[in-house]
Amino acid sequence: MKRVQLEIVLGTILVLLSVALVIILGVQEPQRLAQYEVQQRAEQIEFGASIYTPFCASCHGSQAQGVTGVAPSLRDEYFFTQRVKELGWSGSLEDYIVSVVTSGRPFSTRPELYGGATGRPPVMPTWSEKFGGPLRDDQIRAVAAFVMNFEPYALGQVATSIPLGPLADESTPEGRGQVVFNAAGCTACHTISGISTGIIGPVLDGLATRAATRVSSLTAEEYIRQSVLEPGAYLVESFADGVMPSNFGQVLTEEQISDLVAFLLTLE
Amino acid sequence: MINSLMKRFNIPPRNQWRNAIGKVIDDRVRIITAGLSIRELRAVMRGDPPTEKPNPRYKVITTSFIAHLRPRYYPQAATWFTHTFRLGFFTTFFFIVEVITGIILMVYYIPFPDQAYGSILEIESNVFFGELLRDMHRLGAEAMVIFSWLHLLRTYFTGSYKGPRTFTWLTGVLLLLMTAWLSFTGYLLPWDQLAYWAVTVGTSITEEGPVVGPQLNLLLRGGVDIGTGGLLRTYLQHVILFPLLAILFISIHYYKVSREHSISLPAVVEETELPPEKKKEANRRIDLIPDLLSHELFLISIGFFVMMVILYFRWFASPLETHANPQATPLDTKAPWYFWWLQGLLKIDPAAIIESLVNPLFETFGLSYRLELSLLLNSKFIMGLVVPPTLVIILMGIPYIDRNPSRLARKRPFAIAWGIAWIFVFIALSFMGTPQYGIETPPATRIIQDLAPEEGEGALREIPYAELFNRQTAYVVGKDYGADLCPGLSYQPDPEGDVNNVVVGCPHLTAVFNEFSDRLLEAEAEGRLPNLNAKLTVEQFQAGLVKVTPHVEWTDPVTGSPKTYEHTYFLHENRAQGE
Repeated sequence: MKRVQLEIVLGTILVLLSVALVIILGVQEPQRLAQYEVQQRAEQIEFGASIYTPFCASCHGSQAQGVTGVAPSLRDEYFFTQRVKELGWSGSLEDYIVSVVTSGRPFSTRPELYGGATGRPPVMPTWSEKFGGPLRDDQIRAVAAFVMNFEPYALGQVATSIPLGPLADESTPEGRGQVVFNAAGCTACHTISGISTGIIGPVLDGLATRAATRVSSLTAEEYIRQSVLEPGAYLVESFADGVMPSNFGQVLTEEQISDLVAFLLTLE
Repeated sequence: MINSLMKRFNIPPRNQWRNAIGKVIDDRVRIITAGLSIRELRAVMRGDPPTEKPNPRYKVITTSFIAHLRPRYYPQAATWFTHTFRLGFFTTFFFIVEVITGIILMVYYIPFPDQAYGSILEIESNVFFGELLRDMHRLGAEAMVIFSWLHLLRTYFTGSYKGPRTFTWLTGVLLLLMTAWLSFTGYLLPWDQLAYWAVTVGTSITEEGPVVGPQLNLLLRGGVDIGTGGLLRTYLQHVILFPLLAILFISIHYYKVSREHSISLPAVVEETELPPEKKKEANRRIDLIPDLLSHELFLISIGFFVMMVILYFRWFASPLETHANPQATPLDTKAPWYFWWLQGLLKIDPAAIIESLVNPLFETFGLSYRLELSLLLNSKFIMGLVVPPTLVIILMGIPYIDRNPSRLARKRPFAIAWGIAWIFVFIALSFMGTPQYGIETPPATRIIQDLAPEEGEGALREIPYAELFNRQTAYVVGKDYGADLCPGLSYQPDPEGDVNNVVVGCPHLTAVFNEFSDRLLEAEAEGRLPNLNAKLTVEQFQAGLVKVTPHVEWTDPVTGSPKTYEHTYFLHENRAQGE
């Protein structure tokens, strides 16, 4: 066989093989596109979670459980089944979230429930960089995807799990107390360096030291226990009565309260 | 019967009208092929000699515009594979791949910062063959860079830049610069963190330039930071200005080779006394039609096939990091690998080198004077703006610097050694340009960054979801957890696959935790992380979403103040694994 013929034959075979590979890829392509979209959604949720914690958790709670009087829960059944209908919003819930996060709210839709707390903007601020906020459109979309992912929890399809704090060690009462601190939503209002960033209530760094001297008749432990169970019993100046929920005595078990107090006593 | 009818109606016999039609068709074919008849085409495909005289295959070259760019023939020795390795051919091949895939990608890409990244996601997730096209474009770009460098090295080592070909060498160096600039401008377009910061660092070099530096920087970036203006002008350079310039210079470069000087003959043929029959064979004409042309088509089919195999088996994939964020500088800013040598150059501080050489001399002579050059010799200016252009000028000037007339390797030992030395210099500079080299990162940050880079995958992100699912635990560094962190766990890595394929325990999570512990404890033992207290926390955060937090506390060895570093990673069960 002459070289020209050999090259033509081999070249034709290679072209046919390449075309075969392209055809196989083409057959797999619809499946790949579908899979890519699923992965894309997963990455969007991860990205949204990383934005939610620094920007949204201080009002809506570290677990989006809401903070009484400040901001509603984003993971209850009402939010996923009723909210959009009640407002007469014609789009999807996800679009509603994007819209509210983007442009905020000029006034509250439920002022009797969420009037806002002292020192906080009374209603949802504008988050989009178009309206003076810090977030890009794709970040807002990601936050909405993250909030939408609470749906299985909200509708009770998946059992809820409560994350630990970053330092929690469940073998000690203090460690378990930190889990309670996270689970009960304390992080939403109180700041403890390295653990939480809430700014509605007092900062808890150095609490154990202060608690010992606040009320002369109470030890530090007794004072903290009282503050958890009856928040209005003793008020530090500049903090209003009735902001902190007073039902922790019913919500938490006696053991959980002891653990929580043990944890708070470590904050020297 | 038919014959009598044909006679009666005066129809010419069959062979006559067949010839008449044949002639009409043949004329059309000759017009389309610029001179080749059907018979001739058949002979070409079969590798037979020309059917007519004068040789119609040469006529094509004078009558067809496309073919007139091509050579009539090359001497046989110039086509030796070991002489050219077809490097220039493949550089052109990849340029054409870039043009074709680039034009299709232009249909989907939107050059505005708030939409660019989204349009890339759209190409990957919603365009049929979108990922393949993007991978082809990226692979073609890297291949073009590789082949143009190899082509330059080949030309240098065979001495082909000498004699009449000095101008061809000059246009070649310009084409190399254009290839580099095309790949650099293309790098920004996905508008992800990788792109944004590589280009920000790259353009910042110009800032140090005298007089026009800040203006040049402004011109390239289209503002103080790269934004809408910067992306648009980079895009236009990438899709219009430099492709046009490249086509112009490729034409000049190639025309010099094909029509003026031909491919250089191997030095053995040109400069040594060969036996006459060998000399005759070496100078035998290899015609464009059919030999060169069929060989080129063959090379194209190889190039295309190799690309498809690489992409089919996913040996290459274009990276796409998170959306560009001007507020967050990634820890390891990475230029594309073919610019690492430049990044390596920038890490050299000439002032410090000269000071460390000169100042000990002052000390030995008992002088109290110390040389202080850091204000005078700015390393970014010298290494970014003086050295690289000097290298380019030297490269362009090689044919004029090297006055040795011989092209035989053994008669130019100095030039060969010089070339090899530069290859090593470039490899060393590239190594110095890797993000990790010579950059001091605090140990805790470094260790966590190595396990889970801010951009890209890393061992931590590759832990299968099954090993993290419903695991509300903090693993404390220094505590003994036995051989596996998850006793009692077993899962099927591929839920739809073989039922017997079961992983026991959590090997990936254990490996990550072990590496995290080992490196931290090692740093503690070395005194870099005193009073170490570290944990790796794994929490179920949402349905299908886990949160992994490496957390490190230590006392700063210098100031004695307590320090904390932690990073939070969210991992979703549907995330892309192992790609």
